Amino acid sequence: MNGYELLNVTFQFLESFAFIVLATVGLAVIFGMMGIINLAHGEFILVGAYATTLSAHQGLPLPVAMLVGVVATTIFGIVLERTIIRRLYGRLLDSMVATFGISLVLVQLTRILFGNSIDQVSTPFGAISYGSYSYSLYRVLLAGAAIATLLVLYILFTRTAFGIRARATIQDEETARSMGVDTDRMYMSTFAIGSALAGLTGALYAPARASPTPEFGSEFLVDAFVAVVVGGPSVLVGTPLAGGFLGLIEAFFTFQWTQFIGTVAMLVAAIVMIRLLPDGFSGLVESVRTSWRESE
Amino acid sequence: MTRRSISRRSALAGGVASGLAAIGGCLSEGGILNGSGGSDGPMIGVLEDRSGEFALNGTAKWQASLLAVEELNADGGVLGEELDVYDPDPQSDNQRYQELTREALNREGVDALWAGYSSATREAIRPIVNEEEQLYFYTTQYEGGVCDRTTFAMGATARQQLGAVIPYMIEEYGPRIYTIAADYNFGQISGDWVRLLADEHDAEVVGEEFILLGETDFGSTINAIQGEDPDFIASMLVGNGHANFYEQRADNELDVPMASSTTMAQGYEHRRLDPPALEDMYVGVNYMEELETDRNAAFVDAFYEQFPDADYLNQEAQNNYFSIHMWAEAVEAAGTFDQETVIAELEDGIEVEAPEGDVELDPETHHMTHHMRIGRADGEHEVTFSDEQYIEPSFLHEVGCNLPDDPEQTQYEPDEFYDEI
Amino acid sequence: MEGVRMSSEPNSSLLERVRSPFEGPNTLGNSNGFWLTFGVGVVSLALYPVLFGTYAAGERAVFLVYALLGVSLCFVWGFCGILSFGQVAFFGVSGYTFGIVGLNVSSYTGVTLGIVAGIAVATLFAAALGYFMFYGGVRDVYVTIITLVVALVLKTFMDQTAGGEWAIGEAELGGFNGMRNIPNLAIGVGDVGIDVSRAMHYYVALAALIAVYLGLRVLVNGRFGYAMVATREDETRTEMFGYNTTLIKFVTFTLGGALAGLSGVLYVTWGNYIDPQQFAITAASMPVIWASIGGRDSIAGTMAAAIVLQWIELQLTGEWALVIVGSLLVFVILAMPEGIAPRLRTFVLDRQSSSEPATAPATTEEVTD
Repeated sequence: MNGYELLNVTFQFLESFAFIVLATVGLAVIFGMMGIINLAHGEFILVGAYATTLSAHQGLPLPVAMLVGVVATTIFGIVLERTIIRRLYGRLLDSMVATFGISLVLVQLTRILFGNSIDQVSTPFGAISYGSYSYSLYRVLLAGAAIATLLVLYILFTRTAFGIRARATIQDEETARSMGVDTDRMYMSTFAIGSALAGLTGALYAPARASPTPEFGSEFLVDAFVAVVVGGPSVLVGTPLAGGFLGLIEAFFTFQWTQFIGTVAMLVAAIVMIRLLPDGFSGLVESVRTSWRESE
Repeated sequence: MTRRSISRRSALAGGVASGLAAIGGCLSEGGILNGSGGSDGPMIGVLEDRSGEFALNGTAKWQASLLAVEELNADGGVLGEELDVYDPDPQSDNQRYQELTREALNREGVDALWAGYSSATREAIRPIVNEEEQLYFYTTQYEGGVCDRTTFAMGATARQQLGAVIPYMIEEYGPRIYTIAADYNFGQISGDWVRLLADEHDAEVVGEEFILLGETDFGSTINAIQGEDPDFIASMLVGNGHANFYEQRADNELDVPMASSTTMAQGYEHRRLDPPALEDMYVGVNYMEELETDRNAAFVDAFYEQFPDADYLNQEAQNNYFSIHMWAEAVEAAGTFDQETVIAELEDGIEVEAPEGDVELDPETHHMTHHMRIGRADGEHEVTFSDEQYIEPSFLHEVGCNLPDDPEQTQYEPDEFYDEI
Repeated sequence: MEGVRMSSEPNSSLLERVRSPFEGPNTLGNSNGFWLTFGVGVVSLALYPVLFGTYAAGERAVFLVYALLGVSLCFVWGFCGILSFGQVAFFGVSGYTFGIVGLNVSSYTGVTLGIVAGIAVATLFAAALGYFMFYGGVRDVYVTIITLVVALVLKTFMDQTAGGEWAIGEAELGGFNGMRNIPNLAIGVGDVGIDVSRAMHYYVALAALIAVYLGLRVLVNGRFGYAMVATREDETRTEMFGYNTTLIKFVTFTLGGALAGLSGVLYVTWGNYIDPQQFAITAASMPVIWASIGGRDSIAGTMAAAIVLQWIELQLTGEWALVIVGSLLVFVILAMPEGIAPRLRTFVLDRQSSSEPATAPATTEEVTD
């Protein structure tokens, strides 16, 4: 492997990492913190992508269009939470069937309203060239966006009063309520954040994908579920580790053999990881931290 | 095959069998409540996807079929009778296709069937079609090789499409070819044809990658192509996931020209993707909406008048359209809707005025001789055409498919016949 | 297995003694009314080919086949608390295995061997996966995700098995295009045997469904069933009472795999075809949906939900079809959280207690199991 090829693998890794992390964060917040298995997660991403693309077609500059995508998905998420999802708290498996139904409805409604596809928005920034190779700059920068998203989440959930109340609600609803936390509102806000993150994913990938179709969201679903489980219950620790691990496996096997081998290797690695670490990466980190403290 | 196994094992065994036969005796094909089912007049089945993965390609096929039926009925129907259509939405689901095909054949008793976009769908319903000896038109451009006495393949085959575009590209850009193709039957056979054509024209396939259907990430593929630096790319990618290759090719500023049999004419990528994703894309097609002939202009006008919100009039839609007219002509000539007689009439040879030009049915192979052209997209995704040729389905002739004399139900593959692969 | 006879009394009639192994607290329907409704259901399904003809029956047989797949999930999920997304994996593996054997060994021997091989391979596969998970301490939602990922790995793998290098003897796996020309169901040796197609296939599927249903009722109302339900309710406590819950889950999961394998054989012999879509996420979700809608601890409810939902889907042909199906799922889950069957039972019991018990008409009693 020469230097240029090393750059190739690095960029491929960054792209995989970004994809896995961004596909996962929204789901991880909703599943990890609220216990809702959201099979309509892909369609939340779809809402973000369509809102971004359609408002860019209306002449809005891309960053503003992306903001519209995030806001639209957030509002959409809140409406859905108030009407349907809030009746499903504590009913992990029912939430799965209901959100599967929602996903069927959303895909087909999208098709009825906007047709079989909408025109693509072009990808900004062009490419980086090195030797005989080149790589899309936007795709590399997505890795930066993924890390930035995780940082913002970290600050939100650990450094703000809201974050502390939200985590208290999730850990022990009764106690939180007796301490004066409006838990109903906390659930709604957490779901809104999860929706906003899915919307952000849709917004960021809208210009990086061939023209959006009603099936846009399904491309994200598999990676998202696998990474959530490999990551484990703590979103902030688990998601980046899962993204890094699975992205590395996928990039390496793809580079060495083919994309097919890369995909299969990633899925098999996920199965093995779940078997070895039933609580995921964040469970591992937690137990390491505990034993470290004990030895001190 | 189902039929063969039934006839081979026709004898039932022993006492158990007579008991079963007694039960069977009470059963009828139609049942007590069901009556004869279906409509009284002539009816065709049109099973084309309007939702799910293949809706992008299927919707126009369905629309153009309805247009053809409308025209026939406005013109007095077929054999003086109004033609009915059975057209539920199969939702890109092969199992649903199987159920609806049985429904169409057994309950509705359709006189002819048009069904399916993907070759997986064709293979899923072919056991049913064969068992019932149903006259069936498959209109998608495909890998070729189906030699089946009740099936008529209306689309151009890989041999016809690549035979038009690959030699042109070798001439134009040079002999080093990099193949990327969808990793299933269609893509692999197309890859074989590229090798064969390269061999015939002293060119060379310097790299070949087969890509899983639905894959959306092409970073490593593009790097691999850059590492090889070919004269052109032969792209037989399929579906909307794979359209990401063109998008990422533009992002990565990979400016190697591309030859294809699958792009633009089916999923209208040149309309949906942002230019210049498809710059220097050369595609071998028998039809595209952009063809500039008077006959096509009239067809396109009629289509959009009927379906003002339609997205695109694709190659398969044209194939559905002309083949419904061709079937109606054969019925008129035969004087009956009886499927065996209509098949015999079609096998007498028939020519039809299609929007792509006058095309003939090849009686031996049940395929069409097509007007193949090379459509090129420029940096603004404007499409121009050149090098029109009239190409017949030669591969099936070479393997000896002669359906009127030897009615078989097989699919031939090129790697069984050529050593070069 | 010895049934625990909760309902048998010293002076019970012959009918009650026949019924007793099938009844107990682990199944919902134990009343006369239930068995009457069940009988009516079976008879109408049996009459379907007579009334609507052999063509229609051959076409609808797939509903029964999928109902059996739903039952395989209902058994592991509803009674032992293991939510498996992998039932389609066993279903598909069995279907492909049947195809490989049936295409390679011609004559009746091949088909008969294929049935055995299909179910055996699916069972072994389930056993291996179950061993890997349950003896490795994987539980709850992680089991769900592992089984889903296993199905997706199979899909990814089978999708790329096009071409001659993926032929096993005469049988081409076929990749995305699927495996073709799979023989009809039959049983026999050499040239002597019985072909099962169309209406006969329908009856075989129906018989399998009823046999599995009654067999599972005996099983879940027996000692093993009590252990399964106890494991579902509280695994730690069950373990403290001296039960090997890991073994219970392992056995249940394996049995569920065998049932899914049986439905896989019936599926490929219905359409003479199988493709990797059977492993996809949509297909994998369907059994979960049938069990949720029907009532996951109600075998008859799951069967009914599978048949009715498929029937509805086939009737809806326009562009609003998927919107209606999706809305229906959301509505049922919100209105009837435990599924339709348990809700119906509660409804009927309420009515009975509010009216005079003796005069409650039998026909309005619950249709659950």
